[in-house]
Formats: sequence, structure tokens, C-alpha cells
Amino acid sequence: MVADKGKKLKVAEKLEEKGSESIVGKLLVSVEKLQEIQDELETINEEASDKVLEVEQKYNEIRRPVYDKRTEMIKSIPDFWLTAFLSHPALGELLNEEDQKIFKHLSSLEVEDFKDVKSGYSITLHFNPNPYFEDTNLTKTFTYADDDGTTKITATSIKWKEGMGIPNGINHEKKGNKRPASNESFFSWFTDTQEKDHSDIHDEIAEIIKEDLWPNPLTYFNNDADEEDFDDKETIEEQGKDGDDSEESEDDQEDEDDDDDDEDGGEDDGK
Amino acid sequence: MVADKGKKSKVAEMAEEADSDPIDGDLVLSVEKLQEVQDELEKVNEEASDKVLEVEQKYNEIRRPVYIRRNEIIKTIPDFWLTAFLSHPALCDLLSEEDQKIFKYIKSLDVEDFSDVASGYSITFNVDENPYFEETKLTKTFTFYDEGTTKITGTNIKWKEGTAASNGVNHVKKGNKRPLAEESFFSWFSETQQKDVAELHDEIAELIKEDLWPNPLKYFNNEADEEDSDDDADDEEENGDDDEQDGVEDSD
Repeated sequence: MVADKGKKLKVAEKLEEKGSESIVGKLLVSVEKLQEIQDELETINEEASDKVLEVEQKYNEIRRPVYDKRTEMIKSIPDFWLTAFLSHPALGELLNEEDQKIFKHLSSLEVEDFKDVKSGYSITLHFNPNPYFEDTNLTKTFTYADDDGTTKITATSIKWKEGMGIPNGINHEKKGNKRPASNESFFSWFTDTQEKDHSDIHDEIAEIIKEDLWPNPLTYFNNDADEEDFDDKETIEEQGKDGDDSEESEDDQEDEDDDDDDEDGGEDDGK
Repeated sequence: MVADKGKKSKVAEMAEEADSDPIDGDLVLSVEKLQEVQDELEKVNEEASDKVLEVEQKYNEIRRPVYIRRNEIIKTIPDFWLTAFLSHPALCDLLSEEDQKIFKYIKSLDVEDFSDVASGYSITFNVDENPYFEETKLTKTFTFYDEGTTKITGTNIKWKEGTAASNGVNHVKKGNKRPLAEESFFSWFSETQQKDVAELHDEIAELIKEDLWPNPLKYFNNEADEEDSDDDADDEEENGDDDEQDGVEDSD
């Protein structure tokens, strides 16, 4: 409270210069009362934050087993995470050719908050044994230190097998040339562990995975399915709209027709 | 559920394109089950959001009377909001010379969420009668709609004759970059173009609501501190050991 007293004294001095002591007195009292109100508000806000945190912790616990169930289900869908990544508008750009091959060995991806929710979280990629690196788990962890607002970042140091992971290193970079982003490996993300201020933290990849991909990866996985079929579907729709403009379109349309028993769609009774 | 069915059939088509039949069936089943889990998660998330909103609504109600009490105290501190604005690193740049005079007439500032918290809020300046405009209450209101758009309304200020702001753009010489403080802060009330919630970028509103309103005393006090540190600096120059600045007279 020394600082407060210092401020009050300064205000008092300043106002004494201007005139009557009674004005100074009243003003001081007002500012003091104002400070008390701010203290009261701060207490209320802290309580509100605590309650909100409680809710988040409670629902995190409820979600956990559902996520575990989901992880098991995903294991029975081949290349699920690879597909979801590639269909994500931002994440898709991050996987170079080697990365995509490596991702075929990805068995699951997990995002997990620390138990108290507020002090951090981790993102883990679980891999089957593979020809690229020794590790089976690659984890990146973000720990928020309350006191100083900094974030400690740790990540698995990948034990690449011989000849693998070269895009991660500096070898590819010719001096003076700008390295095209698409060549840089996604896995270099695990080497970005520089400590940052809370406010500076800008691990976009982590944020996208945690906030965007993890809550509902199925939308992206399905997007990919949609896009593949959309190309075909588009053709059908164009044909439908254009009617008989193209002879070719009739044949194609008949090919796609479920009712069509003929492989080549020569004769078709009904649509 | 039409969309879901659409997705399922697309996945089914995709599976059909693959070679082997038994795998298709399993794949479709797995994806369907996955969709169910996602639906389950969505319900949990909605419940969580509702509960968080409840907490925020509850504490907003608790804060309201405290803010009202605070307003009464602030009214007894002359030029409180003017001082707080001028001490705020960003807001201070927004006040033209005339604005600063107008601010002397501000009785109180009020930021109020709609009672359900989520659907919007308003920022109100209560102003004493003054030679600048007719109104005694200037309000800007933000209403968030479910579909993601925001409706913005602001008091249409009836400027009195002869005020700088009523002259509007005349102050700007063509071709000159207008320094920010030439434009009246109060033009903020007429900036009411509807925006998507995602694009909503009324920085002034955000600064007032999120930064100034929770604790304006912090900024008010800053100013008191800064002024005194200026005074202190002056004192040092006058009384201090270093006489070089004062000139040759003092040496020897």
C-alpha cells in the first residue's frame, strides 16, 4: 500500500498548490473510496474467474472419456489424421511430401489440458514403429507460469533415423535463397521451443490444432470426402442443368445412375 | 440430419471407390460412430457454454450495483473521465482540443451489458448541458445476433452552431494527412456500419469496455503520477547538483 500512499500524498501536494485544503481533503476521500471500490470489483472478478474455471475444469473431465472413446474409434479409420490435416485449410499447407508419408504411421493425436485447465496443455502425436524416427510419441507441451506470464514450451527431441528428417535441418537451405515453405517439415514445429510471454505466444500451429482441429476433426475429414465427390457431383449437376447439350453427358449421367444395371449405360429404361 | 445423411452417402461413395467390400462397410460404420461421438461432444460443449454464461450473468448482476456506487463517487472527482482518457495510452490520441473541452461536461460514463450478457452491450456518456451539443446522453449500442451479424446504433449528435465538430470535414486541408486529434472523438457515435461479429473491430468500444471501464482509476492515477514526476524532474533541475544546464553563471 506504500505506492497508494505515495500517490495520495502526491495528489494532495498537487492540489494544495491549487488552493483550499477542504477541496484537497474531499478529493482525497473520494479517490480513496474509489480505490476501495476497485478493490471490491477486483475481488468479485477473481471470484467470477474462479467459478468459470471450475466450470471449465468440470466439463474437461466430462469430455476426457469421450475423447478417449473417440481416439479408439479413429484408430479404425485408416489415415484419419492425415486426411483431416490435409483437408484443413491451414494445416494442409504444413505437410511436405515426406511428412505425408510419415503421417501414414500416425496412430493417434491427442490434446490434453493440464488438470487445472489454466496452467497449460500438451499435444501428442502417437506413432507406430516407422522407418523415420525412433520415437513413438512426439509431444509438445505449453506450461503457463502464473507469476511472470511467461510460457514454457517443451517438445520431444526427435531421434531421426539415418537419412531421415533432413528437411528439418539446415542442410536444405542454400545461403541467400528463401526456403519455400512447402519444403520445410511440419516436424520442425517440435524444435520451436523458445520461451515466450503469455501475450506474445504465437504458436499458431498449436492453436489451430487445439482450438480448431481437435474439437471436431471429422468436419475436415468429411470435407475431404466432400471435395472428392464434389468434383464428380459437379459434373453431374452441370449435365443435369444443361440437359441434352452434350451427348457425352448423357452417357456419363447414365453411368452414375444407381438404377442403371448396364456398365456402359447404353440402354436405360428409367431414371 | 439431412446434411449428415449426405455426408454418409458421400463417404459410402468414397468407400465404394476403394477396392474391397468388407473394408467399406467397416469404414462407413466407423465414421458414423465417430459422428455420433462428435454430436455427443457438441452437446457437452453447449452445456459448458451455457454454464459459463450463467456464471458471467450472475457476476454481472453482482457488479452492477458496485458500478453504480462507483459512478456516484466519480461524480465528486472533477474531470475524472477526462483525466482517465488523457492518461490512457491509446484513448488520449483520440481527443481533439475541442473534445477535451467537451469532456469537462461529462458527468459519467456507463458500460452496460444486456442482461443476458451474450447479446450485446452499450456505452453511454452522460453529459451536463453544454455549449457544444443538445444531447445530455450519448450512447453507442452493439447488438450481437445469433447468425453472427452485429447491429450498431449510436446517438445522432445535434451539434450547436459554431462548434468545430459541426464543421465536420472542413478542418482537413486536402492532401494533408489529418492528425488523429483533428477528428472529433464524438464522430465515433456516427460510425454505425453493421459488421460481422468476426470482423467487429470497434477498437474504441473495446478499449473502453475491456480496458478503461474495469479500472479507470489506474489510468487516472497514472496521470497524477506522471504530472508529479514531471514536477520532480523540474525540481531536480532547479535544485540539483548538476548546474550545467543552467549555464555558466553557477560554476565557480
